[in-house]
Amino acid sequence: MAEPTGPTGPTGPTRPTGPTGPGRRPPADVPEQVRLPLLTLITQQSLDEDYRTAAARRAAGAPLPPRDRPRRTAAVVIGVFGLLAATAFVQTSRNADAASASRETLIAQIENRRGVLARQTDRVARLNDRNTALERSVTDLTGQTLEADGVRETLATGTGFVAVEGEGLRVTVTEPENADENQQVKDEDLALLVNGLWEAGAEAVAVNGRRLTARSAIRTSGLAIKVNGVGIAAPYTVEAVGDTRVLAARLFETTSGLLFADNATTYGFSYDLDNVDALELPAAPPGLAVLRTAVTSSDDPRAERGGDGR
Amino acid sequence: MIAALGLLIGVVLGLVLSPDVPLGLEPYLPIAVVAALDAVFGGLRAYLDGIFDDKVFVVSFLSNVVIAAAIVYLGDRLGVGGQLSTGVIVVLGIRIFSNVAAIRRHLFHA
Repeated sequence: MAEPTGPTGPTGPTRPTGPTGPGRRPPADVPEQVRLPLLTLITQQSLDEDYRTAAARRAAGAPLPPRDRPRRTAAVVIGVFGLLAATAFVQTSRNADAASASRETLIAQIENRRGVLARQTDRVARLNDRNTALERSVTDLTGQTLEADGVRETLATGTGFVAVEGEGLRVTVTEPENADENQQVKDEDLALLVNGLWEAGAEAVAVNGRRLTARSAIRTSGLAIKVNGVGIAAPYTVEAVGDTRVLAARLFETTSGLLFADNATTYGFSYDLDNVDALELPAAPPGLAVLRTAVTSSDDPRAERGGDGR
Repeated sequence: MIAALGLLIGVVLGLVLSPDVPLGLEPYLPIAVVAALDAVFGGLRAYLDGIFDDKVFVVSFLSNVVIAAAIVYLGDRLGVGGQLSTGVIVVLGIRIFSNVAAIRRHLFHA
């Protein structure tokens, strides 16, 4: 408002610095509150205008209120103010308690979860270690399996449970026609021949397509000769895989081979030796490999390589 | 003196009873207190100026409180409650400071 606010009002000092300086004087009919900056206006009107209006009205002759009434009313209102302030204070501090309580709860939860996380991380690390160890043992076991497979393959080849092929010697034993009992080829003749071949370095032997194994027998049952329990008839073909350069020569350096040759001469049956570039020997029936009574001797460190009965 | 007694009684009542403010009114209580503080300092200054009037004081007190709370309520509805209460606090704060300055000049003649 345009009127002065008394000796203590801030109007005096602020007026010259306002935008309404000399040279830009506005028309006189514009109220001063329109021209005043907002901050100055607020500062000027910090005292409610109504006090001054009421004072002016009283000065003009309005009836004065009872002397003690203002104080009582003011006291009641100020009491209300105190009540409000105290309530706000109590409320704010109570809320602060609740806020800090929930904050502490959250912090406790965070720490709890951190502990859980740490435990899980430990577990992950432990499981990773275990994984690595297990992987290593898997690798070891795979290596052992491969090695055992190799050993098994070698053993199976040697013992006759796998079909093999390679160069070798074929011995064909023929009886003379209408051979009498003495001229017939006996099981022991074939056994001598086979033993001679083994001694001469044969690696696999088959008689009439019957592969010989560590458990094979050549024996006479009645009239027929049986190999692996199956009867065979003349002519007898004995095939032996081995080094063709030396096999035939060595055969007749062995006692068995010499005895076989002697028997052939004595009893009158004949035999032919042929070096063959590619012999194919079948596998023995797997039933022969089944052991019913024999068990691997457990204190033998080489037990699992057993079955080397030759 | 009687006014100071009223203030004391009000504060003690508030602290002792610590009434529960309804949840809906809780955000408006602090701004209402600031508005009331402005009215109280205005009344004190008028008293020292010698122009105190109880009717004006009561009306200004009530209207200050109600208008401040209403402005903040409106701001909350419009989504600018924080900014509006800042504005109200700034205006009331300036008024309180200048009234207190006038009171100080009265009391200490400085």
